[in-house]
Amino acid sequence: MPLLDNPQFGEKIVTLMAALVLVLQIAMVAQRWIITNIRIFAAQSLLLAAIAGMVAHFNGAAHIYAAAVLTLVVKTVLVPILLERLVERIDIRREIEPILNVPLSILISGGLTLIAYIVAESFHRPEQAGGAANLGHNALAVAISLFLIGFFMMINRRKALTQVLALLSLENGLFLAAISLTYGMPLIVELGVLFDVLVAVMVLGILVYRIRESFESMDVSRLRRLRG
Amino acid sequence: MTAVLSAFAQLVLLLALAPLISGFIRKFKARFQTRRGPGLLQPYRDLFKLFRKGMVIPETSSWIFSATPWVVFGTSVAAGLLVPMVSTAPLGLFGGVLAVVYVLALGRFFLALAGLDTGSSFGGLGSSREMTISALAEPAMMLAVFTVAIGASSTSLSEIVRTAAGQSWRFLAPPQVLAFAAMFIVLIAETGRIPVDNPATHLELTMIHEAMILEYSGPYLALIEWGASVKQLALMSLLINVFWPFGLQPEWSGAGVLAGLGWLLVKLLLLSCAIVLVETTNAKMRLFRVPELLAVGFTLSALGLVSTFLL
Repeated sequence: MPLLDNPQFGEKIVTLMAALVLVLQIAMVAQRWIITNIRIFAAQSLLLAAIAGMVAHFNGAAHIYAAAVLTLVVKTVLVPILLERLVERIDIRREIEPILNVPLSILISGGLTLIAYIVAESFHRPEQAGGAANLGHNALAVAISLFLIGFFMMINRRKALTQVLALLSLENGLFLAAISLTYGMPLIVELGVLFDVLVAVMVLGILVYRIRESFESMDVSRLRRLRG
Repeated sequence: MTAVLSAFAQLVLLLALAPLISGFIRKFKARFQTRRGPGLLQPYRDLFKLFRKGMVIPETSSWIFSATPWVVFGTSVAAGLLVPMVSTAPLGLFGGVLAVVYVLALGRFFLALAGLDTGSSFGGLGSSREMTISALAEPAMMLAVFTVAIGASSTSLSEIVRTAAGQSWRFLAPPQVLAFAAMFIVLIAETGRIPVDNPATHLELTMIHEAMILEYSGPYLALIEWGASVKQLALMSLLINVFWPFGLQPEWSGAGVLAGLGWLLVKLLLLSCAIVLVETTNAKMRLFRVPELLAVGFTLSALGLVSTFLL
């Protein structure tokens, strides 16, 4: 397969998948249903695993394959299943209620992406790059925008569960940045991060359930009542 | 001479192929929902039937009512001739992609006027909705168009397509992907497909396009329906040839046209399948949700445009 060994082709494919990840992130901002949001997150993680696989292939780094497989298992399968089960258990079918209305949120996400591109531009050194090292330039911009939009989603949403989703997509941004800048952190770090995510989802799941039990709602703005 | 011949060939292709594409989408959608659906040739039969029928023209209507079917049909065909389908655009001399957008806008303007002209409340309702949606879809479409035009540094469609065909893998570049996603959303809004409008409904609460043409019957209705399917074909060709310029012939010639036609059909089928997938898996949106969808389109195309400068 000569095509698969051509770094230029690899760069195009990685850039394309990074762009799709960004499209999915904006779709997540626009989407109102929690279940659909979880599935978009799963699709986004699948793309991330594919990006990691491509990067591993072009850099001949075996441990990134492991990271890719772990991402696939944990973020595309395990976390969405856990979250969907949680949604079923607390029986919410209602829509996400963002604080700002949806068109405005989408426009803000667009603005944040612009900022991300401008920031990423300052990291770009075309004279040093070449071959496989060039894979990550566009991916970094996407990673920063995932990060910023994730933050924005966390601020913009009232329900605890949807904030968990925002946190997860933010973490996807971190993973993408790590992959595109360093071509994979040491495996032990990756393992730590993934385990962290899994535990975070479980703990937050319990927390969400508790909040729901005590306040009859997942609306975190009601937590104000705890003030003395 | 070739210019005249090519214009004629594309005219025939547009008029003949447009109902078939509508029929294919309808049939495939039915199969997808495990219905049998009407035959592929049903749109031709419908047009033939309508052309032989008499007409009822409302007494209160003015010349606009009679002029609109011709304007709608004419603008759709003109837009179709401005778009490269199997080779260069035959009327490319008269304008580029901006002309396509605004020729279609002229047709839509007349359609909205005709909806108001009869004085029926449904017509006015349809016109107002159509104008709202098109006002929101237009910026998204223009930005997506500019994204591809910047790559070719020209707004001439033949030029854009030639540049796109010259660069392999260009259709995978992020600006192209973002602009493609935006254009797809605009395509769905402009052709009145399901998340935005339902082409098969006559339910007063939800119809948009159908509400405007409610008073039309007979040959006028046939002209409008045919025009709508030609418009759909023109927009689909615009999308596929600008973003996936494979198999597009650089010159009009005998053998080349056949190859180009084959590629065109394959790409149209692919795009139709995508449309069917979207139509089947989504429910029609509430009208107040449509701006959200179009805001996504706008943001995507704006990002596409900006990323051409930054990357």
